[in-house]
Amino acid sequence: MPPAESNDVKIMNKSIVCEDSTLRGDITISQGCVIHPSASILAEAGPIILGENCIVEEYATIAYRLTEEQKRQKEEGNLEPCPPLVVGSNNVFEVGCIVEAQKIGDKNVFECKCYVGPEVVVTNGCVVGAAVSLKCKQVLPESTVIYGRDCQQREAIDKYAYQTLQIDFLRKVLPNYHHLRKPNQDPKRTRSVV
Amino acid sequence: MANFMQDSVVKYACSCGILNPISKLFFCRHCPKLRCGFCVCHEVDSNFCSNCLENIPSSEARNKKNCCANCFNCPCCHHTLSARATTVVVQKKPEEGAKDGDGAAGADAKPDPSKVITKKMYYLSCLACRWTSRDVGIPDQSVATGSWPDNECAYQTRFNALAEYYQAVVQQDKQERQEYLRRKTPKTHKFPSLTDRTGLTVSIIRRQMGWSDKNTQKAKPVNIAPAQNTEDVGQLPESIFTQKINLRNITTVKQRHNQPCEQPFTINKLYPQRRGLWIKRSLRCRECEHNVIKPEYHPTSVKYRIQLFASYHVPDVLLVKCDQPLKAGEPNAVILKLSNPTLHDMEINIVELPTEEDELKLIEEFKRACTLKDTSLTAATAMDSLKSLTGSPSLTGTASLTNTSLVRQTSILEEPRVVKLKVNSKLQPPEASFILNLRDDSREFDDEPQTTTKSEPEFIVSRKSNKVYLSLKFIPDADLKTGDDVYVGFNMLYTYVNTVTNTPEKKEPTTHVLNCRIYVQVGSIEA
Ligand SMILES: [Zn+2]
Ligand SMILES: [Zn+2]
Ligand SMILES: [Zn+2]
Ligand SMILES: [Zn+2]
Repeated sequence: MPPAESNDVKIMNKSIVCEDSTLRGDITISQGCVIHPSASILAEAGPIILGENCIVEEYATIAYRLTEEQKRQKEEGNLEPCPPLVVGSNNVFEVGCIVEAQKIGDKNVFECKCYVGPEVVVTNGCVVGAAVSLKCKQVLPESTVIYGRDCQQREAIDKYAYQTLQIDFLRKVLPNYHHLRKPNQDPKRTRSVV
Repeated sequence: MANFMQDSVVKYACSCGILNPISKLFFCRHCPKLRCGFCVCHEVDSNFCSNCLENIPSSEARNKKNCCANCFNCPCCHHTLSARATTVVVQKKPEEGAKDGDGAAGADAKPDPSKVITKKMYYLSCLACRWTSRDVGIPDQSVATGSWPDNECAYQTRFNALAEYYQAVVQQDKQERQEYLRRKTPKTHKFPSLTDRTGLTVSIIRRQMGWSDKNTQKAKPVNIAPAQNTEDVGQLPESIFTQKINLRNITTVKQRHNQPCEQPFTINKLYPQRRGLWIKRSLRCRECEHNVIKPEYHPTSVKYRIQLFASYHVPDVLLVKCDQPLKAGEPNAVILKLSNPTLHDMEINIVELPTEEDELKLIEEFKRACTLKDTSLTAATAMDSLKSLTGSPSLTGTASLTNTSLVRQTSILEEPRVVKLKVNSKLQPPEASFILNLRDDSREFDDEPQTTTKSEPEFIVSRKSNKVYLSLKFIPDADLKTGDDVYVGFNMLYTYVNTVTNTPEKKEPTTHVLNCRIYVQVGSIEA
């Protein structure tokens, strides 16, 4: 286990979080999410809030990293706290993808082994194809599909297919073979407490 | 193995003089010579679809325009489309539901009005770019294959008319040429007429000889409207200068070429394209007409029935390293690894390359041999065919040999040429020949190290089962500059045991001494 300096993982009920996953920093995992074993979520710079019904597959990495500038500030000790990285709902992070985007909307798919750099803003309904690497500063308009070796773009016309079947299946199967982290938050109860 | 994927530094000269890595060469056992892709006939063995692996006969393939009937390619990214199923809730009309319930259950008096019926519907989807057939408004189908509509393009009728017209033109052309030939050849009355002997009618003979019946009508091409050229191509719309173009809605050149009959401008006119068929091909030596490659017929099989790849018969040469940094004019040595792929010991002798004059002389000689063989062959076949046609072996009609239409066409040989690559270093060939041991796969499992029985020549660095590491001395030319590539060439003479023999009387395997010219790019001159 990495040094648990400030590991604060909030897991809402009805979500499946495998114990073998790496969760570092202040992370909130909303209802219905499925985090596979060996997936990592690294909240270095600030908190990460994962929206509802997201799937994070094996070896996928969602990272909120400090920029060089912020690193220097941190060393000097005058780093202002960063705003949380909010990941929308119904996103799929496929095997081996690395996503460091500064903003992620809803219903996006990050296919296997893709890379999304820290200066990218992903809106809604986008698909980043397998092995596609986005490094430059850019905003992906809604329903963008990027595919192929040459990173060609097109606009998805067909509406997003929900992953409910897949999530239901994983929710059934994963607990049979993996140790899970217990959900420690119940939105209903917290609301009643507040 | 390294030279299968990337360009090799060791090249073999084919018998035609073209340089190739060994992985791209074939070895004809009957000639026995190296053959490259230009020295073999490429023949289509079978057509098949690479996606569903269905074997399609060639006539059917031509009918279907060499496309698979069931598989489609994505018009957007040219990936294979896959059919995906969705369940759709079919809303039943009340009376229909009642009727259905009566028929099925009978006793069940009250059919449940809330009962919904689901139906499977299919659409095509691309797993690479997420294009779907719904994007362009193709309705979902109730069966996964076979029912997808063909998109008829606007020019289809015009295209058909043109195709018909030009077919007629070709037909007419052929007829006229035959007529002309018939009139030109003088009628010979030296021989008894064929019809007298066999009782065949003229029209049957004509048909047998591939000529058309005399009394058939001449094909006349139907008139078609010629294409019109026009000066007026219309103006660009005003909006193109003022509004931003959304490039996502415009097709790429590749997408347009993939859909050649429409070449759509916008992406909403991209339709699934039928997948083109693949072929299995066999390769045939152009000199002796034996197969060098023959694949197995079935599309699912990746095996061969005949596979005479050069790497199974010719010693494989690999560049290991250069002894010293390459300097112009300074003696150097290169370590080469030779391996024997055959089941017989090879005796190898490395000599210098033939000079250009020698090479030209060899080519001349080869050409002379070819023409000699050709004329004897054509004369013989001509005589044979004449004999069989007339049934009289006493014919000695040398005059009729000029009638070329009876002679079988011999395949065109690849013109041999001088090797283009010029060697720029002086080889110092080893003074003795050496033995390259046979390949023995079981030898690798032997525990005891091999005992060297006889003393090795000094140029052999080491030896292991069927492999030999040898050091070859050479001097790069003195006038080479820094950065120039250095090429070393040598002629490798090797003994090859041919287990197939052309003559049935001789069953003993024959041993040939063969040679191949090898060019090695050893590196570039260092600063
Ligand atoms: Zn050749
Ligand atoms: Zn097919
Ligand atoms: Zn596609
Ligand atoms: Zn041959």
